[in-house]
Amino acid sequence: MTTEKTAEKKPEYLKVEIARPRSYKWSSGKYLGKLYKEALEKKKLVTNRCPKCKQLMWPPMAVCGRCNVATGEDWVEMSDTGTVVQYTYLVFPLWDPHYGDRLANPYPTATIKLDNGVFLVHFLEEKDPEKLKKVKRVQAVWKEEGRGRGLADILCFRTIEE
Amino acid sequence: MTERVGIVAVAQTKYSPNRADANEGELVYEAVRQVLQETGLKFAQDGSGIDATVTCSQDFWDGRTISSCNVMSYVGHHHSDEDKVAEDSLNAVYTAFARILSGHQDVILVATHCKESQGDKRGIENAAMDPIFLRVLGLDFLSAAALQARRYMYKYGITPEQCARVVVKNRGNAKRNPLAQEPMEITVEDVLGSQVLASPIRQLDSKPTSDGACAMILAREGKAKKLARKPIWILGASNCYETNYLGDRDLAECDALVTAAKKAYKMAGIKDVMNQVNVAEISEEYSYQELLWMEGLGFCQRGEAGRLLDSGVTQMGGQLPVNPSGGMLAGNPTVVAGMARAAEAVLQLRGEAGEHQAEGAKKALVHGFTGACGQLQGVMILGN
Amino acid sequence: MGNRVAIVGIGQTYHKSARKDVNQQEMVGEAVRAALADAQMKAKDVEAVFTSNMETFEGLFLPDHLMADEIAAYMKPGLKVATGGTSGASVVEEGFHFVASGLFDTALVIGFEKQDTGDTTAAITAAVTPVWGKGVATGAIGEFAKQALTYMERSGAKEEHAAMVRLKADKGACRNPYAHLKLGLKSIKEVLDSGYLVWPLRLLDFCPQSCGACALILASESRAKKITKKPVWIADVVTVHQEPFRAGSFGDPTGTEEYSQDIAAERLYKRNGITNPMKDICMAEIYEPSNWEEMSHYEHYHFCEKGEGWKLVEKGITEMEGAFPVNPSGGVIATNPIGGTPTIRVAEAALQVRGDAGEHQVTRDVHTAVATALGGPNWTVMTLLRRSL
Repeated sequence: MTTEKTAEKKPEYLKVEIARPRSYKWSSGKYLGKLYKEALEKKKLVTNRCPKCKQLMWPPMAVCGRCNVATGEDWVEMSDTGTVVQYTYLVFPLWDPHYGDRLANPYPTATIKLDNGVFLVHFLEEKDPEKLKKVKRVQAVWKEEGRGRGLADILCFRTIEE
Repeated sequence: MTERVGIVAVAQTKYSPNRADANEGELVYEAVRQVLQETGLKFAQDGSGIDATVTCSQDFWDGRTISSCNVMSYVGHHHSDEDKVAEDSLNAVYTAFARILSGHQDVILVATHCKESQGDKRGIENAAMDPIFLRVLGLDFLSAAALQARRYMYKYGITPEQCARVVVKNRGNAKRNPLAQEPMEITVEDVLGSQVLASPIRQLDSKPTSDGACAMILAREGKAKKLARKPIWILGASNCYETNYLGDRDLAECDALVTAAKKAYKMAGIKDVMNQVNVAEISEEYSYQELLWMEGLGFCQRGEAGRLLDSGVTQMGGQLPVNPSGGMLAGNPTVVAGMARAAEAVLQLRGEAGEHQAEGAKKALVHGFTGACGQLQGVMILGN
Repeated sequence: MGNRVAIVGIGQTYHKSARKDVNQQEMVGEAVRAALADAQMKAKDVEAVFTSNMETFEGLFLPDHLMADEIAAYMKPGLKVATGGTSGASVVEEGFHFVASGLFDTALVIGFEKQDTGDTTAAITAAVTPVWGKGVATGAIGEFAKQALTYMERSGAKEEHAAMVRLKADKGACRNPYAHLKLGLKSIKEVLDSGYLVWPLRLLDFCPQSCGACALILASESRAKKITKKPVWIADVVTVHQEPFRAGSFGDPTGTEEYSQDIAAERLYKRNGITNPMKDICMAEIYEPSNWEEMSHYEHYHFCEKGEGWKLVEKGITEMEGAFPVNPSGGVIATNPIGGTPTIRVAEAALQVRGDAGEHQVTRDVHTAVATALGGPNWTVMTLLRRSL
């Protein structure tokens, strides 16, 4: 579709592929670690609250970046039901470059406001574009096995009848 | 000249081989929190506090594009100015220095971090090599350093024993530095008996893997005098690039360092470094580097650094102690090393270095490098 | 205060989707040589070199080191910054500070990206919080789609308006010899007929991945006046970062949070005596990765009231011949080598001030221009350029 000028004779390029994986061992740190632990062990979503602005952190963090204060240990267990605020619908496949998982194609992602406050970005179970327009209330569908990846321990959010 | 630039507070985390208990932001905050407490400063946009932040980290080391995002919440970036330098952190101090001299900003927080325990050092360093010709050789900064060490020893007759004595000195100095990672009581025989990593560099000639962070606050002279009882002035600073391809360089030389040092000395009025500077903190990832860099800094003639070390001049209690903190060899992450050297120099000039205090420190030399065989060299002169 | 700083040389490569004919060093060298030629300077006249590049995209660690020779950095001071989407403007900011400080009288500032070398989406996805963000990330595209939705809902803008912006950008790109995507679009219908990528974004609505470099030569006042008769003064640079929005990555669907663009514009205008932006400033080169965002940015940069951005488009005000031209170069939607895109915005705005933008020179006389950058979790850098201070 582009109108780049083409050369009279296209040169041939030799291709050398270097595949050299580089692995990392990231630490979650204390606060994120607690989120992961609760998700893994109890299928619960937790986060902490800033003592100054009283807002819930997301993800849980040691410092509230808006207030520039250390947050302490005021932990809150969040509901795993919420309301869809926005959604969009990806129609090309995406590979998670870190876990190598191929994300389903097509798939809808949504911003979901959990019932006690934080906004979560996650996948919706409903794939029909017409039905998606009506999805309002959703609930997390947790993985029964193979948890330990934090938010990815939730497979998607399922529409619930109100 | 306009007002000087002062360093009003410094903090370092205790360096550790593995800080799995903290993520990058939490680690940086351990240092940032200290300098905020020490000065009582808050982040502000009206000139009443910290005007901006300069961070320093490497995306390759953090395994994250825009690695400053790992620490952004912890360094006051919200609705404020923050920039990330992607070299050794002495360059971040240099950037903050320039910002204040420009008159555009008055008070700047500088923060750096690196968690070597998280990354694949060889893979990361190999990724710095020319993709077409050099990467496939598996070249990394260790093997590049080994080439340089071999060349340096061959051209100037530096011996493995002299290199080993650097390690003995620095690991020994580290015993008196509470923040040092791995102080060691060792001998030349211990070093020469340790496993060869890349000849002639042995295990103990090389710094250990390290996690850590460092933070400091710089301020324009008028404000610095109000913020600190004893601001430490940046009297001179410069850095310099060498050419990239190792084959184009005589690795026994360090022209970039000579150039950077000349400029920094000129700015600071240093004409005779051995007599005008009282203490030096030099970044030495491998033992031969302390010797080579000393020559580049003009401490002695080319090839004489081994003899200089052996004369005792650079020992604690000598005329110009080098690396009273223990340097990189006692455990410092790459990226953080340069600012850590500066933080240590500040402690020396404030008389707050405790058991590793060099006597009568009035002017300090700080050095940091980035890249294979020190392709980018940085030098700073600090004074009280 | 320090020295005044001017742009005395401007150079760019011809941006393309792939530059298999050159390696990174050679590509950047093209822009450097072009800037030196433009300033009629030699490499030795450059006292320091500052670079911007997001190295994870190319999988090359320390790229400024690899290309030290090609960027005239041999035996010179300098360093590299890397702040993401804003990086190319952060490097202009550092050059500005370093020259103003008196440490250097001239500096070369370079932004570049060679995106045919890596997997850009993967690298962008790698920008999320390492531990918890993996597995649910969608790259930038999903986020921009959500932002477009928010804009439609809040302002009443229609898909036709986004199409008008796309058409405007392509008209500019076709007249800009350096631009990457030159589609030759003829009508709004042509845009509307193209397929959706991520609803409501169409394939055409989104920026390309480009290979390209842009170099600027900065000089202090005394040197600038000797180098060129047409220095473009950097009057000010404002950087504003922010915590990620609670409900979105690049936009706030709740309408309750402050945008860094608003704050940067307020600060810049206040510090520089600008009270009526569309009158006091003559044109803007803004960083809009999608046409939807361009309209919402008009509002955030205070060119117009909230919710009115699409009206500027409807009335043709931001066209090249309009009262307040925006992105006559084609903008980011036509050309996007990420580490260099903001540098290109500054370069294009500077060309307009100099009157050297050739076929894409705007009709209105440009004595003052603004260039913006966007990156990270909605960070902003704004640069103000003037013909005279």
